[in-house]
Amino acid sequence: MLKMTHLSKVYRTEVVETYALRDFNIDVKEGEFVAVTGPSGSGKTTFLTIAGLLETFTGGEYHLDGIEVSQLNDNARSKIRNEKIGFIFQAFNLIPDLNVFDNVEVPLRYRGMKAPERKERIMGALERVGLASRAKHYPAELSGGQQQRVAIARALAGSPRLLLADEPTGNLDTQMARGVMELLEEIHRDGATIVMVTHDPELAARAQRNVHIIDGQVVDLAEDPRFHTAYTAAAGQIRG
Amino acid sequence: MQIRPILAALRHHKAGSLLIALQVALTLAIVCNALFIIHGRLTHLSQPSGVDEDRLLVVENQWAGKPDAGHIGSMMSADLNFLRQMPGVSNAYATDAYPLRGGGMSYGIGLVPDKLKYAAESALYFADENGIDTLGLKLVAGRNFRADEIGQIDAHSPIEPAEAIITVDLAKALFHGQAAVGKVIYLSAKPTVIIGVVERMQIPWTYSDMAKWSGNSTLIPLRQLVDTFDYVVRTEPGQVDEIASRVRAALYAQNRMRVIDADGGVLTYAQVRAKAYKNDRGIAILMSAISLVLLAITGAGIVGLTSFWVGQRRKQIGVRRALGATRNDILSYFLTENLLIAVAGVTIGGVLAVALNFWLMKQFEIDRLAPGYVLAGVVALLVLGQAAVLAPALRASHVPPVEATRSV
Repeated sequence: MLKMTHLSKVYRTEVVETYALRDFNIDVKEGEFVAVTGPSGSGKTTFLTIAGLLETFTGGEYHLDGIEVSQLNDNARSKIRNEKIGFIFQAFNLIPDLNVFDNVEVPLRYRGMKAPERKERIMGALERVGLASRAKHYPAELSGGQQQRVAIARALAGSPRLLLADEPTGNLDTQMARGVMELLEEIHRDGATIVMVTHDPELAARAQRNVHIIDGQVVDLAEDPRFHTAYTAAAGQIRG
Repeated sequence: MQIRPILAALRHHKAGSLLIALQVALTLAIVCNALFIIHGRLTHLSQPSGVDEDRLLVVENQWAGKPDAGHIGSMMSADLNFLRQMPGVSNAYATDAYPLRGGGMSYGIGLVPDKLKYAAESALYFADENGIDTLGLKLVAGRNFRADEIGQIDAHSPIEPAEAIITVDLAKALFHGQAAVGKVIYLSAKPTVIIGVVERMQIPWTYSDMAKWSGNSTLIPLRQLVDTFDYVVRTEPGQVDEIASRVRAALYAQNRMRVIDADGGVLTYAQVRAKAYKNDRGIAILMSAISLVLLAITGAGIVGLTSFWVGQRRKQIGVRRALGATRNDILSYFLTENLLIAVAGVTIGGVLAVALNFWLMKQFEIDRLAPGYVLAGVVALLVLGQAAVLAPALRASHVPPVEATRSV
């Protein structure tokens, strides 16, 4: 589903080159739930923005659902974002001027979908996240957890092949975070491929597989004694 | 099209949207009426006077020393002979007024000998047998004055010509399409027979309230022997500026007992026209300037507000891009948003334009605003709005999708 090979991302200024990702390799299979962890500045978010075609990369290869994306133009990248990827952002990123229904509708409109189908999908997605009754509410009238559920509904409405979540519970209290996480797990059980960036070991442990990034590279936690103990302990607590 | 969500979003930006819509509305109302007035003025100042302006100049002559009428008559004849013999001059005559002069006589022309029952208003021009040729008027019926028909009167004599030549416009006003030559008209209690009809000769005044009878003129075969009068001089083609530069000195050399103002005593017809329509031109320029300033302010307002909105919604644009919007989708969003505001503005503006026109009709007796002006104004403002919004909208379309992941 998502395969990056020897991928690099370099930010260049006149005096310095900074590698955000270096010789980065990852392979996410269809139906997997992968948590990407790592300390601040490790390259997690850069990985996610490249994975979501929000940014280009400097070198290497990236295949998304079998398509090599490095040569795609802006319109083709927009089309893939719209049809194959669903985004869940830490700050929800709902459009404050639009109500819940209209927010969920945004990606469907860009797909050129007819109104009856849009409505069916929007209401289906809102029912799935338990917010069908709030369709006419504005984001400011909802709690943080509800807003994130709307964002998840927006991501799901287009039936994407890949769901990318960037710290989806980062702005929520524990109870709300638990609810959102349960929702993601449910979506995964229904067959979705999910890649979630998080710095929270507890959340990461609930994913099927963990990928850890340090200094722009994927490292194997099992072979790194510095991290092995902490993550297995956290995973044990959650699963226990 | 995404009109419904754009309208929904605009409801959250009521103040800005309303201000721009009102600005568009006011601009449309004022610019439509201004363009209408400008067009009216330009039409007014470009109407033909009927005389051969390219070859004419006028000299305002004032005799010094208060000579009697007899002396004036002989000096005038000497001047006219002198002028006609000047190299580069083809003809000349003396008169009290000429088209666009700004001053002259107007009479109520009657078909019965009753001053209160006149059938049409007309300008009255003194002329002799050289008048028609000098002015370059086109005689379309009847004949010119003969030399033996030219009378002489002083300032106090009644104006009772036996013959007259009138314009086509006046003939139509008096006789409604019937032949005018041979008919009798009344300037006073005595009858005047129409002996000829000329195609067009404008009245001396350019006031808008006289526009309806601006082509009604009557030439009468009289020479008024008064201190101050005008010589109208017809030059050979291309000679008018040259003759204008030396005619004053030449007339002084011919007879020093006169005053010809060094500044404005000799005018080419181009100068006469410029002077006559100075106000019209001034109003047209003022209205154009007001319209341009208003359009510029409205354009700047749209640029300013859209730029502000683009800055304010940068993150939102990034989110839309992340969710699949192409650059064209973002561009089209802002263009459509502006179009919706502008359409609201021009709808209100169209009503305001008509209302303003009604008020101007009442206050200043201007004509009813032609719908074409409102339509042209609507199109102009919609185009202006789209042009003004283009640069900020293009900036918006270049907001990268990664903006969605950046914290505010």
